Amino acid sequence: MTFSLFTSTALVLGLLEAAPLVLAAIGFTLIFRLNGFTNVAYAENITLGAYFAVIFNSMFGWNFYAAIIPSALLSGLFSVLTYLVIFRPAFKRGVGKTELIILSVGLSFFVRYGSRLIFGNDLFNFTFDNPSYLSAFGIGITSIQLTCIALVVVISLGIYFFIYRTNYGERMRALADNENLAMISGINPTKVSILIWFIAGAAGGLAGVFYGAFSFVSPSLGYNLILIIIMVTIVGGVGSVRGSLAASVGVGIITSAVTLLSKPLYGQVVLLILFIGILKLRKVRI
Amino acid sequence: MEQLLSGYVIYSLAFLLIFISLATLLHLQFSLAGIVNFGVVGFWGLGMYSFSLLLVKGKVPFVLAVILACMITGIVSWILGRIILNLDDQAVLVGTLAFATIIEYLSTSEKWLTNGVMGLGTVNFPFNFGKKSLLVYSLILLVFTVLLMLYTYKLKKSPYGRLLLSISDNEKLSQSLGKSTFRQKNIFFTFTCALIGFFGAMAAPLYSFIFPRMIGSGVTFTIWIALMLGGRKKLFGGLIGVIATIGLFDYVIETVIPIPTQYAEIVPNIKFCVYGLMLILVLMFRPFGILGDKKMEIVK
Repeated sequence: MTFSLFTSTALVLGLLEAAPLVLAAIGFTLIFRLNGFTNVAYAENITLGAYFAVIFNSMFGWNFYAAIIPSALLSGLFSVLTYLVIFRPAFKRGVGKTELIILSVGLSFFVRYGSRLIFGNDLFNFTFDNPSYLSAFGIGITSIQLTCIALVVVISLGIYFFIYRTNYGERMRALADNENLAMISGINPTKVSILIWFIAGAAGGLAGVFYGAFSFVSPSLGYNLILIIIMVTIVGGVGSVRGSLAASVGVGIITSAVTLLSKPLYGQVVLLILFIGILKLRKVRI
Repeated sequence: MEQLLSGYVIYSLAFLLIFISLATLLHLQFSLAGIVNFGVVGFWGLGMYSFSLLLVKGKVPFVLAVILACMITGIVSWILGRIILNLDDQAVLVGTLAFATIIEYLSTSEKWLTNGVMGLGTVNFPFNFGKKSLLVYSLILLVFTVLLMLYTYKLKKSPYGRLLLSISDNEKLSQSLGKSTFRQKNIFFTFTCALIGFFGAMAAPLYSFIFPRMIGSGVTFTIWIALMLGGRKKLFGGLIGVIATIGLFDYVIETVIPIPTQYAEIVPNIKFCVYGLMLILVLMFRPFGILGDKKMEIVK
């Protein structure tokens, strides 16, 4: 393989890898920014999003693109449900930061194995109507992949605009920075929190759908991604939506470059070792 | 009687002993030193794999292989501790989780060394007493578990235990009293992780064949739920928790209740689902577990 072909292959595969990651990282970052804890149960949001799309696409026979919308809404609702039933009562009870993470791990196992009971341990594939094969930089790519990447770009720009340019985004940032001050200014914390958890959940669900569209849907889809997502948000600067956008693209390209050079698992191993190193270098609070 | 002592009951009890020891070690790390180790299975798996490799491929004698496996686990955890232990809890949690994932990936991908998913074996008992081998081995495990419990009991009463407790309670304060908190934490982390590796090595002959899927994140999670359920601040928290989770599910339910074969594969799913629910309920309503106090300290 020549150098230029290698770079372009790594670039295209990396972008494909990064596309769902961008959405997941943004959603994860929103919850982290707002409530200040690592929500491991976010992994299940991603998985459930993919399963919702499977239900609409395979069982009801909807078009893949039509199935995206209800699955995003449903995963948003699921996210709000976890907030209202589990996390909000936990905040009120004064559960510590570390215990919150353990709590989210418990929720993650509950939902993951609960959905295994419903959907079984099988893998699912989406059905597409006549995908066409295109070529980008000399690498084969399907029209589905191209559309998914375009959708990811549009959606993430939309969320970005929402967070940094609209009134609600400003309220969310105010709430995250200083809850008491935000409440004095007349911001309703519950309303804003529900909105943010909804957006984060919908973004996670969409990430699951696109990830499933690129490969397949399995019960551990989200859990396999969550470490990388946490890593991306740390590399991108904690709680920064801009940073996680850039970091996910970078991580996607690095993984695919390492994977091209060696076995697939090495890409992950190299990434995780880098990650532990980065934890040390930045000395940040996750 | 003869059949009972060589059979499934003893085998189950031996595993319970391994998990009770792991939960007690986690209790030491989490409740005494305040280290949020979410990579227990990584250290356990490292001990198990390095021991089995030394024994099977290196033809190293049993006892020496156990000692070397402890040392390998200790050195690796010392390096990891140097990197992450002076960061905050969430970083420690994610760092140890990442470490365990690396070990799991490597055990799968390094086929030349570990045989990958084909499994590594056979790991035999260090002695051969015919049918009584398992019983003798379990008694040795019992001795080690009791020793660990005694050590935990003594440590919590000793000045060193108080030092560790002061670090986990208020690290800045104990630093200002002239204690090198990071160093103490790392030494204790290395020591306890080496012990986790020790119990990994000791578990290998019980399995006799070692597969990557044995060292999945489910193990770490099971130990955590056991400790949280039993009471993380109590000496016997791990013991009670392991009996209430693994003892109840893996042995009582799976052996006593006859499960039709077509449902056999959903039993682990139900198990982890219930474990998750149990963990949520414990943290919400009884944060200090069965043995702990009812009320939670109000931290504002």
